[in-house]
Amino acid sequence: MKALAVALLLFWPVGLAAQHVTIGPQIAFGDYREVSSALHYRGNGLAAKATVEWKKLSADVVLSKVKYKPTESNSGASEFDASEIDVRMRYYIRGPFSAEVGFMNRKADPEFEAQSVGAVTLGAYMGYLLGPGVHMSLNGGLLFGAKYSGGGTTAGLGAVQLGLGLTVDALKGRMKVTGDYGFQTFARTVDNGSGPLDAPIQQSLGRVGLAIAF
Amino acid sequence: MHRSTSWFAALVLVLPVMGQAQTIQNATLRRAQQAFDNLDYRQALTVAQASLRERLSGFERGRAYELLGFTYSGMDSILKAVEAFKQVVLIEPERDLDPNRTSPKALSAFQVALTQILVVRQLRVDSSNFIGGQGAVPIRYIVTQPSRVVTRITGGTGPLASMRIDSTVANGQVNLRWPARLPSGDPVPAGNYNVVVEATVGQNNFSTSQPIRITHGAVDTLEHLTSLPGYTYLPETEVPPKSWKPLGLALVYSGVALAGTSALSHGELGSPSMREGAVIGVGIATAGFVMTLKKPAPQPARGSILYNQLLREQITRRNTEIAQENTRRRQQVAVTVTPLPRTGGGR
Repeated sequence: MKALAVALLLFWPVGLAAQHVTIGPQIAFGDYREVSSALHYRGNGLAAKATVEWKKLSADVVLSKVKYKPTESNSGASEFDASEIDVRMRYYIRGPFSAEVGFMNRKADPEFEAQSVGAVTLGAYMGYLLGPGVHMSLNGGLLFGAKYSGGGTTAGLGAVQLGLGLTVDALKGRMKVTGDYGFQTFARTVDNGSGPLDAPIQQSLGRVGLAIAF
Repeated sequence: MHRSTSWFAALVLVLPVMGQAQTIQNATLRRAQQAFDNLDYRQALTVAQASLRERLSGFERGRAYELLGFTYSGMDSILKAVEAFKQVVLIEPERDLDPNRTSPKALSAFQVALTQILVVRQLRVDSSNFIGGQGAVPIRYIVTQPSRVVTRITGGTGPLASMRIDSTVANGQVNLRWPARLPSGDPVPAGNYNVVVEATVGQNNFSTSQPIRITHGAVDTLEHLTSLPGYTYLPETEVPPKSWKPLGLALVYSGVALAGTSALSHGELGSPSMREGAVIGVGIATAGFVMTLKKPAPQPARGSILYNQLLREQITRRNTEIAQENTRRRQQVAVTVTPLPRTGGGR
């Protein structure tokens, strides 16, 4: 939440000047898996999303906190909180296409219940106006330079993210209904001395909420 | 009612006076006319000559000579007929014979008489209205003999006390155009003037005049255009035909996301969770379906936008020209020239 406050302070003045700002809360629900099918978590939480548009540039900042609980109580796993910040900046290229660059960072609390991860994102974004005030998007890209709290590495194309978005204007565009889906997969390998072992990480996160447009 | 009664009384008083001015009152002349009508040329000749020795009005004197001319023509005395008609023309230079009601002999004698005396006839100044410096007043007259003809404007002050506007040697019909400008180039001031035409040949000269009135007014300015005649603005948006594209694309986007999720999932993590993607995907598909059913949003019509832009530029350009033209017109004067009734003939 501190990060959310910092992000708001950073983006609020820009938004006022640009007059294309949306910000609002979301309900998050996710699915998290790590290493094997035994470590399977599902959870709910809160998120906040802010969007700034200025000429050909736009940026999304998403903060979320999801409390993940093991899907099987006898797996020996414990619940944990996943706090994530996801920042993406886009530059409109042509037609529906924009280039996207940003970073993500997810921290697990307690620290040793799940892997904390951070990476730089690079990808593409496709936006389409379905109708008056209804906008959908599809984005995808690679996650470079992933760092894990428990160590391990990922090959160059081993970390991928995929997303789907929907925005519906309400109250003459002053309010927006937002829906987002994000999928992240990290082909993480670890080496504890007995050779490399696969320890993949995967998260599907859905968010539904409202936003106020300025 | 009172006003119409006054007009009627005025007409009753004035009409007989007007009638006297244009009818023959002299009894002798009337007898001569009677004799001529009875084809008694000798009697008509004698009595007409006798009438000329009496006191006659100008009109009666002209009629008396005209009667003599007709009588001499009827008697084949062409030279005497010509002499009589010459007197007619001198008394009434504007006099013309009706070719449909006059014998060819009399007509030819009249024409010969016209060529033997110097008169300026049928001086006409046409009504005209023009912007000072950009038009002219049509003036025309007939001079019956080759002569030096000088046309002047008189009746004003300064240069307009007597301003020569044309000088030429002419015979027959003369047409000229007077720009109604002073030597300085300024329009002639408003007022009443006379167009005087003087013809001179040897010792003979003749002059006639036509009074005119010159008035000044403001030149009409042009209104600014809001549209070009025949060209109308086109709607800059157009509603595309209804299509299934929104639903199709919503399904494609959702399908790509879900298929990507499935394809990119690691097998050792079990079957991927589609719950999150499905919730958002169903939302997008529903929105696409609703948008398919709804009337499509108007889209910018590029051709119409360019056309309207061109039209606006054209109107702006034309209005700029109109503004410049109006600025020029506000500095101009509309000159109106109107001929006034004549008060007398020429000399």
